[in-house]
Amino acid sequence: MSEQPESTGVRRREFLKILGATGAATATLGCGTGDVERLIPYLIHPDQTVPGVSSYYATTCRECSNACGVIAEVRDGRTIKLEGNPDHPLNRGALCARGQAALQGLYNPDRYRGPMVRQGGRLVPTTWDQAMQLLVQRIGEARAGGRAANALFLNRHETGSFAAFLDSWLSAMGMPPALSLDVLAQTAVMEANRQSYGIAWPSLDFGAARLIVSFGADFLDDWGATIPQQLDFADARAKLATAPRMIYIGPRRSLTGLNADEWIACKPGAELAIARALQSGAKAGGGDKASVEQAAQQSGVPAAQLQRLAAEIAASKPSLLLAGARTANASELALTINSLNQSLGNVGATVKPTSPITSFDGTTPAAELLAAVERMRSGQVPITFVRGVNPAFTIPRAVDFAGAFARVPFKVAFSSYPDETSEMCDLVLPDHHPLESWGDATPVPGTIGLQQPTMEPVFNTRQTADVLLLAARSGGVAVGAGATTTWRDLFISRIPGGAAALTAALPRGLMPGSLQGAPSRRPAVAPAPTPSPLPPPTESAPGDFYLVVYPSSVLGDGSGANKPWLQELPDPVTKIAWQTWVEIHPLTAARLGIESGDLIRVSGPGGKAVEVPAYVYLGIRQDTVAMAFGRGHSAYGRYAKDVGVNPLDLFASGTDARVAGGGGGGGFAWTQGRVSLAKSDGYMHLATTEGSARQHGRGIGRALTALAGGTMREAAGGEHGEEVAPTGEKGAQTARPGKASAEQAGAETMPGDASHDFLPGLRSPLAADAQGDVASGIERKEGGMYSSQHWSGMAKRRWAMTIDLARCTGCSACVTACYAENNIPTTGAPYQSTAGLSRSATPGHTGLPGSNIVRGREMAWIRLERYYEGGEDGTSSFDTRFVPMLCQHCGNAPCEPVCPVYATYHSPDGLNVQVYNRCVGTRYCSNNCPYKVRYFNWFGYGEPHRAQYAWPEPLHWQLNPDVTVRGKGVMEKCTFCVQRIREAEHRAKAEGRTLVPDEFTVACAQACPSRAITFGDAADAGWTVAQLAQDARAYHVFEELNTYTAVVYLKKVNHPALGPDAEAVGGGT
Amino acid sequence: MSSMAERSIGPRGPRRPNIASANVQLPAVTSYTQVTDEIIATLRPTLAWFTGLGVAITCLVIGAVAWTYQIYMGLGVAGYAPPVMWGVYIINFVFWVGIGHAGTLISAILYLFRAGFRTTIYRCAEAMTVFAVMTAGLFPILHLGRPWKFFWLIAYPNWRLVWPQFKSPLVWDVFAILTYLTVSSTFLYVGLIPDIATLRDRETHPVRKRIFGVLSMGWRNSDREWRHFARAYLFLAAFSTPLVLSVHSVVSFDFAMADVPGWHATIFPPYFVAGAIFSGIGMVFTIIIPIRRWFNLKHYVTLNHLDAAAKLCLFTSQVVGLAYLTEFWIAWYSGSAVEQNYFVNRVLGQWWWAAWIMITCNMFLPMSLFSQRLRRNTTWLFILSLFINLGMWFERFVIIIPSLSHEFEPWQWTRYSPTVIDFCILLGSFGWFSMWFLLFIKQLPVIAIAEVKEIVPPPVRTAHDHGIRITGEHVAFEADTPGEYA
Repeated sequence: MSEQPESTGVRRREFLKILGATGAATATLGCGTGDVERLIPYLIHPDQTVPGVSSYYATTCRECSNACGVIAEVRDGRTIKLEGNPDHPLNRGALCARGQAALQGLYNPDRYRGPMVRQGGRLVPTTWDQAMQLLVQRIGEARAGGRAANALFLNRHETGSFAAFLDSWLSAMGMPPALSLDVLAQTAVMEANRQSYGIAWPSLDFGAARLIVSFGADFLDDWGATIPQQLDFADARAKLATAPRMIYIGPRRSLTGLNADEWIACKPGAELAIARALQSGAKAGGGDKASVEQAAQQSGVPAAQLQRLAAEIAASKPSLLLAGARTANASELALTINSLNQSLGNVGATVKPTSPITSFDGTTPAAELLAAVERMRSGQVPITFVRGVNPAFTIPRAVDFAGAFARVPFKVAFSSYPDETSEMCDLVLPDHHPLESWGDATPVPGTIGLQQPTMEPVFNTRQTADVLLLAARSGGVAVGAGATTTWRDLFISRIPGGAAALTAALPRGLMPGSLQGAPSRRPAVAPAPTPSPLPPPTESAPGDFYLVVYPSSVLGDGSGANKPWLQELPDPVTKIAWQTWVEIHPLTAARLGIESGDLIRVSGPGGKAVEVPAYVYLGIRQDTVAMAFGRGHSAYGRYAKDVGVNPLDLFASGTDARVAGGGGGGGFAWTQGRVSLAKSDGYMHLATTEGSARQHGRGIGRALTALAGGTMREAAGGEHGEEVAPTGEKGAQTARPGKASAEQAGAETMPGDASHDFLPGLRSPLAADAQGDVASGIERKEGGMYSSQHWSGMAKRRWAMTIDLARCTGCSACVTACYAENNIPTTGAPYQSTAGLSRSATPGHTGLPGSNIVRGREMAWIRLERYYEGGEDGTSSFDTRFVPMLCQHCGNAPCEPVCPVYATYHSPDGLNVQVYNRCVGTRYCSNNCPYKVRYFNWFGYGEPHRAQYAWPEPLHWQLNPDVTVRGKGVMEKCTFCVQRIREAEHRAKAEGRTLVPDEFTVACAQACPSRAITFGDAADAGWTVAQLAQDARAYHVFEELNTYTAVVYLKKVNHPALGPDAEAVGGGT
Repeated sequence: MSSMAERSIGPRGPRRPNIASANVQLPAVTSYTQVTDEIIATLRPTLAWFTGLGVAITCLVIGAVAWTYQIYMGLGVAGYAPPVMWGVYIINFVFWVGIGHAGTLISAILYLFRAGFRTTIYRCAEAMTVFAVMTAGLFPILHLGRPWKFFWLIAYPNWRLVWPQFKSPLVWDVFAILTYLTVSSTFLYVGLIPDIATLRDRETHPVRKRIFGVLSMGWRNSDREWRHFARAYLFLAAFSTPLVLSVHSVVSFDFAMADVPGWHATIFPPYFVAGAIFSGIGMVFTIIIPIRRWFNLKHYVTLNHLDAAAKLCLFTSQVVGLAYLTEFWIAWYSGSAVEQNYFVNRVLGQWWWAAWIMITCNMFLPMSLFSQRLRRNTTWLFILSLFINLGMWFERFVIIIPSLSHEFEPWQWTRYSPTVIDFCILLGSFGWFSMWFLLFIKQLPVIAIAEVKEIVPPPVRTAHDHGIRITGEHVAFEADTPGEYA
């Protein structure tokens, strides 16, 4: 020990130094916070709000002209969900997919974030001060030049005080009144209604009718007040055996047409010939043989079918006849139908002009818009304002709106989005989103629907009315009553009763009365059209077809195309998303050697052509093809640009885009074009969610056929053919106590009826047993959670759902509601496709909109299956079954025992629960699910740094804070909105009470405009669902698999023609 | 016994010995030294071997890169098209597990049955088994949505008190595969001990000598060691035998326990076991035929051995074919429209091509082995073995893809096509397997030296008459080429 050995390594002190330094460095790095994430947007929250607890604001939806009432759920300053306002006279609590998706307009990542001005040919951001200065200057120049009278203001159609204010502002500026545009408005029908009844839109009583005949009126798609019509129609059909029968007349079976019991497939434009034949028949007091023969010849419909139609209409009183074809003779058709309704005694019974709907009052007919375009083309127009409309997209290109618009020296857009029109403008003054704005609407006379801001503006936008007020003040022009400075003050001053009344009314979102100074605008009454001879539909040569262009029922006039929820929502009829397609009849397709997905070159008469994939569709005439309008934007943000094609581009000349009707009261005629088809080289996988459109006898969507005398018989597609008695509306009311009366009706023999023994699910032998705790009724001594004796009482409940297929119209509003409630990612946007790597193996899957959907990777927790029965030979006589399919929450769930890590298990209250954090992604559960309702996160849709992120800023502001956003590699599925269940339970517990039956419901059921979905506790007889589950129509899908599902379907009811010759012609069943 | 040898010369010329018994002779192998020298000579690396190893590692790297990309992007880069939630990876899994079966069958079951033809091919088959199971074991992890959580499937005590779901066949898989891997690698290693000792004795490089010394566990060739060795080997053979049946039965439960039409069938366990043995023997041919040619081992792995293995192949092929037919019969007899519809779709619908590849390769082509001439034609055997590999891969394809794409819900019927990533990972799995196998054959003898010595004439015994005069002359062998045994 005398000598210290020479050390070669690290000395002790050095070691300690290094240890200390590295330790400190590591610790310091570990302290870094990285990205600061704010859990709560408010640092200091407003007085009335509690962080984490929602506030609700009643306001008005402005996605279409209907102006339904909505209630916005606002959590910590952000609007997260829209639901229908139950008190609103129009939508009565329901809300369609477009209304739900308004949120994605509010948070659209491609919205203008502030004012923009054109500099050097490009729109560049500017400040509001500079923008206003420019606006005032250019308005002043126009007025000084004396040309203000030629100015144009193209406004989105809306009723209420803004429209009135706008006209007063324009007149103060010396400008003509604004054009109130809605490209989907049935202006021809409105004009006819004004002539016939003096009002634009009567309310319709579907329930009172015994027969509904629609002449191309798609009242479930886009025709008129769709939501109230759907509510009433579903209610009428819920009368089951005594419900009105429905006949649809038109060249293509739309969603409305698929809901009809019979389809009369007439040639485009020949609806009028049929209507006239009926009219002359009615005059003749029966059948007018000659005119029926003539109509049959013109329409391509067998005379016998028309004869029977005439007889049926004569025998069914009251009936309800509706006109709505978008043809050149739409006005004549509407007038003829009105007079038919009159002569049949329907007016007052089913058509009620005395209680009109005023949402559409004042819509500008297409003729006026065309005249305005011509004025712009002539160079007279010094300044054009555009607000909320996109005519560069919605007007057929043959009109060359863009060319005319370009000749206007100064173009101002108040648009929120970079659409085709606003991208051409010189100044963009982005408006608030309707959910950020004050306003009002007049849905029905005597009621004001209020619109209020639900949150602070997302971006640096200003409400147009304020911009106009400021412009007037800066320009030294007085507008409105007195010296109000803001639109809000002006708006309040117009409210009867002022601020106090407004404050009192805002919680309901409605107030009685009418606005002071509401516009009394009414277009000049057009001269009564002289009945012009019908342009005879010509025979089509091979490869030469009629073209029907119809508005997409989910994208509307194309304004929905920038909302991924709507792009992702499969078209209710064709089930295609993110694409434009051309519909071809199966026999025609076979003749031309075309299959679904083949690229077809559709050429218009002027040589304009588009290339789209074919979709072989049973519900279209053999001499007709159809395309949906709504996609094909060349601008309008990442979700809309270059997605699909615009079929209006095919109209080559003004004559194809001619205005309907002789009087100028109509809209654009979209269904008179003729096109030729040519198969081009290539194939495009359709982004469709449809596998097989046939049930193969598996009894998924079952139906009964209503027979004479109020009985019903099992329809095709089921397994049995016994006759059963109806149980009336809401079967339960008459069927309670259910079992007994069902037995009396002989219902025991019906498929699904055996299920009554275990319907409440608690009696299922295995319902509570996924964990193995109480197998076969053996309860552990201490009583686990699955024991009915457990203190939590959870096992006493069985959450369940009934879906009434007699009500469901297939509109798919439930799907979008589910996306909104449960943070479901959309997967089809072009940027979400996996570029490059999978291209060679699977052409058509990559870099294209909807490529993930081509692979079946859509995430919709609830989907609308659409099955056909009949029509295999290509005839028009087939029946459609819409089946909403979601997790069935099986009592004996096949998915549960196969999960190796317990990520899915059974909750004591009957839910099939998925634990995302536990899931490792074996996907065995999905393989074993007979219903195929489990969805996998193939990519990081929920992870912001991933290419496939579904909610680019600020779209993620919409996310529901109560629901986890799922990461990649985990399975997800319908939870029965477990967050709503638990919230209701907690609320009840906090209030020291038990749940009240029907106290809450799930998102899909809440939104459903048909009231087809009912949710609740099947183990408690107080809930509606427990009663409905006892209905004689109840059945489970695949009950032979002993899954003991919690979702109970009620059979659809079909209404064939009843009569001696009915069978010969076929009745749609 | 000499009379037996005489009896084997029948009126139609020389007959072959009963190769299913222990009487499989190696006439061209005459001394222990020859065995040791010739087999150890195969361990010298060659340029061709390095090239092969390079190719294998390249394939492995391609697969590894593809997997890394897949982990980063998500499983969506593979070809999955819901409801086809299992795709190429599970096909590969079952394929490789199946290949892993023949090895243990040959080394263990045939050992117990004293089937002498196993002696020269069992080492190769056993190594193939271990590497195939190692390959197969990757795929359940590869196909997970969150592969970094794979250990959640393993039952181990943990503070979360969450156990795997013991009802799930996937958990049974974990047990079955890990058990099989453990036992088969132990079996392989135990069989190697005397050979490693031989290598140790011949090795001059000190490091390698030391490694072999450790691995040989100090083997000194004593009687006591041989007695223990024989007991251990017999025990492991007996222990492995039920695993041959159980592992693939458990794998088949992944399918049979599900309610999917086309899967939910009681025939699956025997069907899978037969298929696995069939595919394993196919893979043995694919491997052993080139090895016996390139390593000059034709006089060890004789045509008689291949002939016998080909008969086993033929037998299992017919079992598999019967299973196919039984499936159709059951589908028809069940009266279940869903099941019937599925099987019609399988052979006549969208997947007809895959089903007919399977039936042709697994049922019809192996029937050529009824011909003795073809059984002894190594070229044909090799080509046939490639078809068997293809056919058995497609068998798993046909079981998995058409079933999932054509289930109860017609609305969810779909199509499926793999992507480049799927194929890269399939390629990577062959690279992984080949890499291990190539490394193995240059480090350790591919033919069991000690066991071969048991059947060559012992030097002391040549002069004695033990009832068998093993001189190589009493039986005429047909050679596929002149000088086959030279």
